[in-house]
Amino acid sequence: MALLQNNFPTFLQGFGYTLLSSIIALIGSMILGTGFAIMQIVPQKWAQVIGNVYVQVFRNIPLLIITFFFFLVVSKYVKMSGFTSGTVALMLYTSAFIAETVRAGILAVDGGQMEGARANGLSFGQAMQYIILPQAFRIALPSLGNQFINLVKNSSILAFVGGLDLMYQGNMVAANTFDTFSTYIIVAIFYLILTLPLSYYIQHLERKLKRAL
Amino acid sequence: MSMIEFKNVEKYYGNFHALKNVNLTIDEGETVVLIGPSGSGKSTLIRTVNGLEEIEEGQLLVNGFDLHDPKTDMNRIRKNVGMVFQHFNLYDNKTTLENVMLAPRLVLKRDEAENKKLAMELLEKVGLADKAANMPSELSGGQKQRAAIARSLAMQPKALLFDEPTSALDPEMVGDVLDVMRDIAKDSSMTMLVVTHEMSFAKAVADRVIFMAEGEILEDSTTKEFFEKPKEVRAQKFLSQVEHH
Amino acid sequence: MEKAKKRQFGIIATIVLAAVIVLGLMWATATANRNAEHQDTLARVEKLGRIVWGVKADTRLFGLMDTKTGISQGFDIDIARALTVQISKQTGVPMSAEFVPVSTASKMQLLKNTNIDGSVSTMTITPEREKIIDFTNQYFDAGQSILVKKDSGINSIKDMNSSKYTVIVVVGTTAATETAKFAPKAKLLAVQDYATGMQALKSGQGQAMSTDNAILYGFATENPEYHIAGGTFTHGPYGIAFDNNQKPMIKETNAALATIKQNGIYNQLIKKWFSHVPGLDWRSLEAK
Repeated sequence: MALLQNNFPTFLQGFGYTLLSSIIALIGSMILGTGFAIMQIVPQKWAQVIGNVYVQVFRNIPLLIITFFFFLVVSKYVKMSGFTSGTVALMLYTSAFIAETVRAGILAVDGGQMEGARANGLSFGQAMQYIILPQAFRIALPSLGNQFINLVKNSSILAFVGGLDLMYQGNMVAANTFDTFSTYIIVAIFYLILTLPLSYYIQHLERKLKRAL
Repeated sequence: MSMIEFKNVEKYYGNFHALKNVNLTIDEGETVVLIGPSGSGKSTLIRTVNGLEEIEEGQLLVNGFDLHDPKTDMNRIRKNVGMVFQHFNLYDNKTTLENVMLAPRLVLKRDEAENKKLAMELLEKVGLADKAANMPSELSGGQKQRAAIARSLAMQPKALLFDEPTSALDPEMVGDVLDVMRDIAKDSSMTMLVVTHEMSFAKAVADRVIFMAEGEILEDSTTKEFFEKPKEVRAQKFLSQVEHH
Repeated sequence: MEKAKKRQFGIIATIVLAAVIVLGLMWATATANRNAEHQDTLARVEKLGRIVWGVKADTRLFGLMDTKTGISQGFDIDIARALTVQISKQTGVPMSAEFVPVSTASKMQLLKNTNIDGSVSTMTITPEREKIIDFTNQYFDAGQSILVKKDSGINSIKDMNSSKYTVIVVVGTTAATETAKFAPKAKLLAVQDYATGMQALKSGQGQAMSTDNAILYGFATENPEYHIAGGTFTHGPYGIAFDNNQKPMIKETNAALATIKQNGIYNQLIKKWFSHVPGLDWRSLEAK
């Protein structure tokens, strides 16, 4: 506990950066993921290919490599800090999984919904926006929740590139105090403070949407 | 003036020849019933009319636009041609009222107050005013189909397509849906193309009956002619099967 | 009724889960404490007939993993081997040397957990570390420097005392704490290992990498565009580390260290590893 008291500002700073990175990556990966999910189901072959390649590339490469790619290679041409590289990598990596989840959700929506909407005069985009995606997200919500929790945990990747996050600060505290054991327990508790409410919120949302059906 | 015109239309699913040299003209305001054994191509034919199925050869004019022309804006045709499906295809994530109001709001940009007024009138007409706030999952099959009809009518189309609208319903629900359809048919300006097995409905409402088998139109007669003395042997056989069932 | 049952099940499940977590933590803490209680390292290595050394795997010249053989090679490894032989002679117990790669961040905990018996891993002797673990006498004289691009215009750590500069360090090294004393305004970027640090320096994430001069010489040989600027600005000799209160083991190791320094083995190893490093006066490293 003395360890927590003495290093509280450090942990808090790390917590803040982890939270910030997670929020940016979450919003970004939802937008990108949904976009690439749609690309994979439109009739245009070229769009399908792009969507598919994107998902396969980012889903099948370790997050650490993507992070280092931005941190060590891209930053030669475009200046970016460890925090930025890590967050961008996290966003792209997660978006590939979200694309797959959302795509599965879209495919699980009854085909009649799209036909009904098109026959009713809606464009493909309008049908997606108002009819298909809301239903797809509801179907995909449990797996999306898993992705979000993974995203928060995966943000510890920032520690490898000096991203100032919780894990990074934990490493620093552990290195300075030599109390590895307690430090990482504290770090774990901080992660739980982020992930537990998120899990509960998603469970709550699932229940709420089930009732609305 | 013709509303729907098929000229030498061919349609394939891979090697399967689904529509064979279809020639058919339906005039504005006409009510035409399409019958035939299952797998005869009735559903395929009706689905080509609003572009849910593409045709491979020939010409298909709907409201003056050629559907086989890639430049034709399908959404413009669909604005004028509504469709009612066997499985309703109501928007599962919207209330009954929203189901009716959505397309006019998005596509026709209808004023919100007017949209709501019209939607409520339509729900009143199909007997669902009290279900306006319910989700589709809370409606019975018959109620769903009447809501779907209201949804199509809200776009104020020139033509309505019905693809086996009562086939998925429990028998006691069928009557209400047919009553609503009968009301619509009374409106002399509405063109209706109906795929159905309800012979009594066809007899009572249709101006013409089309009989299809194996992708071909075998008979195109006035209702009276068709039911009194069908020309085709297969149509006779079909009629006797359906009526003695 | 059904709902109440479900709720009850939920409560029970939560309690069980909480109990498992609490018990697990207690068990883990107890294990950690037991490990923290001194086991006599010398008695253990004599009984098992082997000394497990923690060595670096990412540090050229001291401990670098040969990717073909999977075995680390370097000055630290050779010193550990020589010490093992010498300690065997002194105690009359035949012992073999085994090597486990450690990172800067993990080696303290590995010592405490007795996963490793001792650590020869470019570890600077500091008063803070002495509180937690034991050090032998110094086995290598080192000091902190900075590695910069030759055309960077940076001549010493003092030139970097500005917020526009970022100094790359490795988490848990003395350099991470010392740099702030000499260039307090400079930003610090702590990475996990030297290889990443070097890559980060090359891609412009920082303008200098700082750690012990001997390690930086290893990188300078590999990357001719970079050089060491301004010599050493700290003095931090390396020691061999053992768990806390291991007087017998420290005594044996110090004796062994003194012997290999006297009989010339130490100087042979200095020559083997440092004589070809450009810019380094390797003779100054020899035992007198």
